[in-house]
Amino acid sequence: MFDFGVVTQWIDELLRSFLPGTAATLVELVLIGLCLLVGYAVIALILIYAERKVCAFFQCRIGPNRVGPYGTIQSIADMLKMLTKEIIEINHVDRFLFNLAPFMVIIASVLAFGCLPFAKGLHVIDFNVGIFFLIAVSSIGIVGILLAGWASNNKYSLIGAMRSGAQMISYELSIGLSILTLVVFSGTMQLSEIVEQQAAGWFIFRGHIPAFIAFVIYVIAGTAETNRGPFDLPEADSELTAGYHTEYSGMHFGFFYLAEYLNMFVVAGVATTLFLGGWMPLHIPGWEGFNQVMDYIPSLIWFAGKCAVVIFIIMWFKWTFPRLRIDQLLHLEWKYLLPINLCNLLLMVIVVVFKLHF
Amino acid sequence: MELIENIKHIAPDASVEEGKIPTITVPPTHYRQVAEELRNNPNLSFDFLICMTGCDWGDSLGVISLLQSTVHEHKVFLKTYTTNRENPELPTVSDIWGTANLNEREVFDFLGIRFINHPDMRRLFLRTDWVGYPLRKDYDASESINPVRLYSDDTLDTTPTYEATPEGEISEKENILFEDDEYVVNIGPQHPATHGVLRFRVSLEGEIVKKVDVNCGYIHRGIEKLCETLTYPQTLAMTDRLDYLAAHHNRHALCLCIEDALGIEVPERVKYIRTIMDELQRLSSHLLFWSSLCMDMGALTAFFYGFRDREKVLDIMEETTGGRLIQNYNTIGGLMADIHPDSIRRIKELIKYLPPMLKEYHEVFTGNIIAQERLKHIGILTRENAISYGVTGPAGRASGWSCDVRKHTPYGVYDKVDFKEILYTEGDSFSRYMVRMDEIVESIHILEQLVDNIPAGDYAVKTPAIIKLPEGHYFRSVEASRGEFGVYIESRGDKYPYRMKFRSPCLTLVSVVDQLTKGNKIADLIAIGGTLDYVVPDLDR
Amino acid sequence: MRSTKTYFSTFFSGLLSLLKGMRVTIREFFTKKTTEQYPENRATLKMFDRFRGELVMPHDENGNNKCIACGLCQANCPNGTIRITTDTITTEDGKKKKVLVKYEYDLGSCIFCQLCVKNCPRNAIEFRPTFEHAVFTRSKLIKQLN
Repeated sequence: MFDFGVVTQWIDELLRSFLPGTAATLVELVLIGLCLLVGYAVIALILIYAERKVCAFFQCRIGPNRVGPYGTIQSIADMLKMLTKEIIEINHVDRFLFNLAPFMVIIASVLAFGCLPFAKGLHVIDFNVGIFFLIAVSSIGIVGILLAGWASNNKYSLIGAMRSGAQMISYELSIGLSILTLVVFSGTMQLSEIVEQQAAGWFIFRGHIPAFIAFVIYVIAGTAETNRGPFDLPEADSELTAGYHTEYSGMHFGFFYLAEYLNMFVVAGVATTLFLGGWMPLHIPGWEGFNQVMDYIPSLIWFAGKCAVVIFIIMWFKWTFPRLRIDQLLHLEWKYLLPINLCNLLLMVIVVVFKLHF
Repeated sequence: MELIENIKHIAPDASVEEGKIPTITVPPTHYRQVAEELRNNPNLSFDFLICMTGCDWGDSLGVISLLQSTVHEHKVFLKTYTTNRENPELPTVSDIWGTANLNEREVFDFLGIRFINHPDMRRLFLRTDWVGYPLRKDYDASESINPVRLYSDDTLDTTPTYEATPEGEISEKENILFEDDEYVVNIGPQHPATHGVLRFRVSLEGEIVKKVDVNCGYIHRGIEKLCETLTYPQTLAMTDRLDYLAAHHNRHALCLCIEDALGIEVPERVKYIRTIMDELQRLSSHLLFWSSLCMDMGALTAFFYGFRDREKVLDIMEETTGGRLIQNYNTIGGLMADIHPDSIRRIKELIKYLPPMLKEYHEVFTGNIIAQERLKHIGILTRENAISYGVTGPAGRASGWSCDVRKHTPYGVYDKVDFKEILYTEGDSFSRYMVRMDEIVESIHILEQLVDNIPAGDYAVKTPAIIKLPEGHYFRSVEASRGEFGVYIESRGDKYPYRMKFRSPCLTLVSVVDQLTKGNKIADLIAIGGTLDYVVPDLDR
Repeated sequence: MRSTKTYFSTFFSGLLSLLKGMRVTIREFFTKKTTEQYPENRATLKMFDRFRGELVMPHDENGNNKCIACGLCQANCPNGTIRITTDTITTEDGKKKKVLVKYEYDLGSCIFCQLCVKNCPRNAIEFRPTFEHAVFTRSKLIKQLN
């Protein structure tokens, strides 16, 4: 299996050969930052296109098909439009916070994006509390959303922001607990380690019942975390027109939009890493030939493919269900998901202690 | 007749005019007493105010209300007047019949009659700075008096009201709608969930709705005023533009009313085809209801399924009538054209096509736990309130009030076909929803019975070139998709109507929004609005 | 105990109802799409023959129409959409006769009520099922039909 570490090693050596050590590190940091941002933008564009097509297919429509073959350039055209649009200055807003909010949201999602192990050797930040870091940075986004709603000086925005506050803080618990279940199972919080452990079999298979329950809860809570339907109360277009980003225009709105899609990718990426083996190919113990064939498929494709499946499921939710009401949303979390999650954690501990897993 | 004796007893100066529907004319001094007697006497119990029409009779201004008893099923016109054109004042009946509240505001708006003790004497449709009262016969419509104003109208948090002291003194007071420190949010006029330009001012306490104030008139086109300058065949074109989702029903009502007045009996074939088209219209309207409710509640995919299937209904109607929304099909004495020969086949295909789709709807939305939890036990309208506020149609039937005009005063061939009147008793959002879903099934059932049995014959009878209605007043109503749509015509024997009033089912629906949403959440306001299913051009007229 | 039972039964029945909905949408995902591919299907797109697109006055091969300039259509129009200019000429046998000079029709204010067509004693005007009427200025919507 191809190791991207070879490439990064080569670049590192090349830089160090004609630059002093600190300068080389600095250049590398800039390079990594650039790569991440480009990757971020590209993935967002692909996701926006995918969402439109998937949504259209669910709704008996064809979806974008005018710009480029099968409408593939549509999202690029939209991005260009968004970039060239005027950012409207709104009266009576708290200007500093109003302008800060979209950056908070986007920074949180870029940071979380940076933590993901994309392929073998293609992993930006890998340290022993990787998951902990990921949960921490991804929850900064909520501050941005609250700020956006507050600073807009708009009643709809404020209601939207308050809803998202209640929602995200509640569902953070479920995300944390379902991840914790897997941490108990793997015994480590380092993402690379977790992926390596799944060489013998993905955690969702090895951890059987508790891992599967944790996966389902994670996907539900993750959908809620990203403010996507049926949990799109903060923006609830038929109630609050657009919720917290009602007053935003141009690229400021674009940031919210990008962050929404990227957060979905991050959620799918984390689900992939924790439950579906990350970039690890599908290995079945005992089937040597099969395993070898699987190894020929590049790790990046494994990762992208698994993410795509999870993203499709999340989209499937959105394009099937009606929106929850705020009390239903909180009931679901506090009355159902949280107790199930706690029991599940206990179950996982039992499984680990008595070695009931495969 | 006991009724007349009773009235004579209370108000010796009342005059009673016999007719198909008797008309009681009461001077304002005894108006309230008579109204209360009509409402409260168990032998009369006129509990349903169908339609209240303000009219300028030249020497006097006044209102004429059509009352019906849901117990005894009899009807009566109650008329009162004032000769004071400078300061016309009449006692209110808004505390006797809830629906009179908005209707009296409409009368005030158009004729300037102030109703004493009415809690809220604001204009209903026109701007607050509008000069004059358009439905008065001496109204000056010149543009120099009411130019197009390019600034927005003030929204006041208070409303004037006129109170009478026991001595008969009338004083103007102010009612407070919203306090200064209330969190008042505008839902509309530009809002995705109001289905048009309707404006709710909603006072919120966090997510909870405390009060809703309805502001209408954003799409008021003055159709009733326009009709006074149009000949009868020309007025037909206006009805399609009231409730555009029930264009057929509206036009059917107006045609029935004019045909009644002229004494024209339409051929059987016409009745059959009109009934078929009415039911197709109901199908398309209810399918749209389903779609838009789903969309309001965030299930956008369901919206497309509904529209996909509505398209098939629209195709059938377009083939026969030539229009999708504006059908333009019924005429006085018949139809524009015969039913298209292809339509029979298409309707049969539709009858086969729809039931599986309905199953799909129920799977994707009705059964869905989220939808159920959001609709059940929310926005409960009691039967008493439904009758008092005149909430007819599916919303009224969901409260257990049997108010289907097709059953109670059959028109077309509804007396010959077998169908159930869907009744639910809960009165909540979910039963309003289920009534419509079940009515789709009933409509298909009616179509099944009719489609093969259309008798041969003419599709129209010959009518005089210039249609003049005999002097008098006429009322006919049909069961439109959203409730009872009625037409009241007052004729003085001209080729133009003297007064034409449309009883809009949606105005009554909007009048209960406040009491239905109080104490519920914003999301419920949207869902209740969706299940009431008002169409704004219909209520604004 | 009962509440515990309802707690679990609502949870599972709710879950089941959600899965049912998802089954429907995934089925629709793979069915044929219903989008009308408008400009591409222009050649095959046919409107219903009763569709009221615009008012026309058919002319025969010699360029004659059936209009007798009686003005009934103009009088019946609720919206002032039709404007007829007539002229009185003396025919060969000495009779005075009204002839049509100009028949103006404003598509922009037409409400398609069909009263003109219905009241025409000679069937000189009719509606055509054309539908691509978008133009850039209002004046282009005023058409001379004769």
